Amino acid sequence: MTPSTRLFHAPLVASGATLLIAALVTDVLYWRTALTQWENFSIWLITGGLLLAAVAALALLLDLALRRAGRMHWLDFALLTVAALLSVLNAFIHSRDGYTAVVPQGLALSAIVAVLLLAAGWRGWSLCAVRLRSGGTQA
Amino acid sequence: MTRNACLALLGLLALSACSEVVAPPDTQYGSNPVLPAPTQYLIPPMRVPLMTGWGAGEAPTVPAGLRIQAFATGFMHPRTVYTLPNGDVLVVESNGPKAPIYRPKDYIAGLVKGRAGAGAPGGNRIMLLRDVDGDGKPDLRTTFLDHLNSPYGVVLVGDQLYVANTDAILSFRYIPGETRITEPGVVLTDLPAAPINHHWTKSLTASPDGSRLYVGVGSNSNVTENGIAVEQDRAAVWEVDRATGFKRILASGLRNPTGLAFEPTTGKLWAIVNERDEIGPDLVPDYLTSVREGAFYGWPYSYFGNHVDVRAQPQRPDLVAQAIAPDYALSSHVAPLGLVFSQAARLGENYRDGVFIGEHGSWDRNPLNGYKVVYVPFRDGRPSGPPQNVVTGFLGPDGKTVRGRPVGVALDHTGALLIADDVGNTVWRASMPGAATAGPATQ
Repeated sequence: MTPSTRLFHAPLVASGATLLIAALVTDVLYWRTALTQWENFSIWLITGGLLLAAVAALALLLDLALRRAGRMHWLDFALLTVAALLSVLNAFIHSRDGYTAVVPQGLALSAIVAVLLLAAGWRGWSLCAVRLRSGGTQA
Repeated sequence: MTRNACLALLGLLALSACSEVVAPPDTQYGSNPVLPAPTQYLIPPMRVPLMTGWGAGEAPTVPAGLRIQAFATGFMHPRTVYTLPNGDVLVVESNGPKAPIYRPKDYIAGLVKGRAGAGAPGGNRIMLLRDVDGDGKPDLRTTFLDHLNSPYGVVLVGDQLYVANTDAILSFRYIPGETRITEPGVVLTDLPAAPINHHWTKSLTASPDGSRLYVGVGSNSNVTENGIAVEQDRAAVWEVDRATGFKRILASGLRNPTGLAFEPTTGKLWAIVNERDEIGPDLVPDYLTSVREGAFYGWPYSYFGNHVDVRAQPQRPDLVAQAIAPDYALSSHVAPLGLVFSQAARLGENYRDGVFIGEHGSWDRNPLNGYKVVYVPFRDGRPSGPPQNVVTGFLGPDGKTVRGRPVGVALDHTGALLIADDVGNTVWRASMPGAATAGPATQ
């Protein structure tokens, strides 16, 4: 039997992060155009990203419980946790009415979150190594 | 380095969300209210009172010398009361059309409304009450006009009864003494409504000579968060020619003009206006103002003259330069919804020359403000002193529960004050025992 090389949480982290990064794009569009539709896009993207982040956290627990997870990647864990916490803050800022829902604090937070997530993505979207059936781990 | 920056930002934002000192409302009465600097919040200051309704035998409180009792109960979200010349009382039962969910926040707002009792369905109709024997209790109750569309304002001119639905002014032929109108109304003019229709109430009054109608049309947002395009024709008082239905904007920049009335000694039009939320517990004071022809009162770009609101973008310094300050601040988040001048009241010398204002109250301030009926004294056609409490007790003694919320106010044919209560689903009647009455209603 071939060993499992896939973790449950990684694709969910990638999907949620994609929505949060997209919120930077819509924030920039709002900043440049003042069209409310982009502001609304941003808050829904952040909300969707956070929901997927919550599902990803549950999936990580499942990976740990099923002993599919190997060694933890603590730097990735830190990047993604900080990005999620800042996005919660960003959701409240984006729930203001009008311009200050985005400019300047919302836009700044979206940019910081995007940088953190792109770094985590470059490193592979994974919070831990895969535990191989043979007992070793695969990066 | 990045993480340090994040923590710094986090700390800054957390600070801005801390509770703050709230100014006493009396610093914000009159023509020169104290206006603190605006704040942008993570979670704006709020207190959502729990709706409990009135217990058996409970009633609002009035000053010594006056008496208050329920005129009638069991309504479906009564908003406006209006007295016909024969003494019959009309009660408009209404609530807003279903609000669209544009953002996650709109969903939360729906839950808040439910808790505070503001989400109950309206009857979309007008009830008629007749007190035949003059004992302050109606002996006849009929459905006067049914199948309306979120009606609010109502005014009779000659034999024409005008009803301001949320999307049009309808006119109906009214025969004195009749208790039910079944003929469909005729549209005098359309009014701005969908899409969104955030502030849906259309207040209505007629000029003293009856030739023109005046309609209050509220904004389609708190402060342009639904885009500036949907604000076309809104946040304004419209003047409608009664003969032709031709209309024009009389004054603009009035965020939500919920009540209109002519001051009887000067014949000038006055309005109560609900100002914007979420920039502080003491911003922006709601107000009472005379409505000057052609004037711009600031919304959304500024408030009380040239106090700029950065949330409305792109900014319009040209309009801010023109914006005029309203006449009289009522203090912040009181939500004035009912307006009637007192000259025809028989409630004693204290209320001889002034205006009664029904303050619905809101949840955008902690502690709560409003939830009462106040009286603003006038002299020579202008406000001449601070508001005085007239009807209170709508909030529970702990200030956390709400038994009722006053909305529309009117004088009945005996000079008593009627108050619609859309949480208690009651019309209250405040009267002065011993005052000479005009006698019972006649058919």
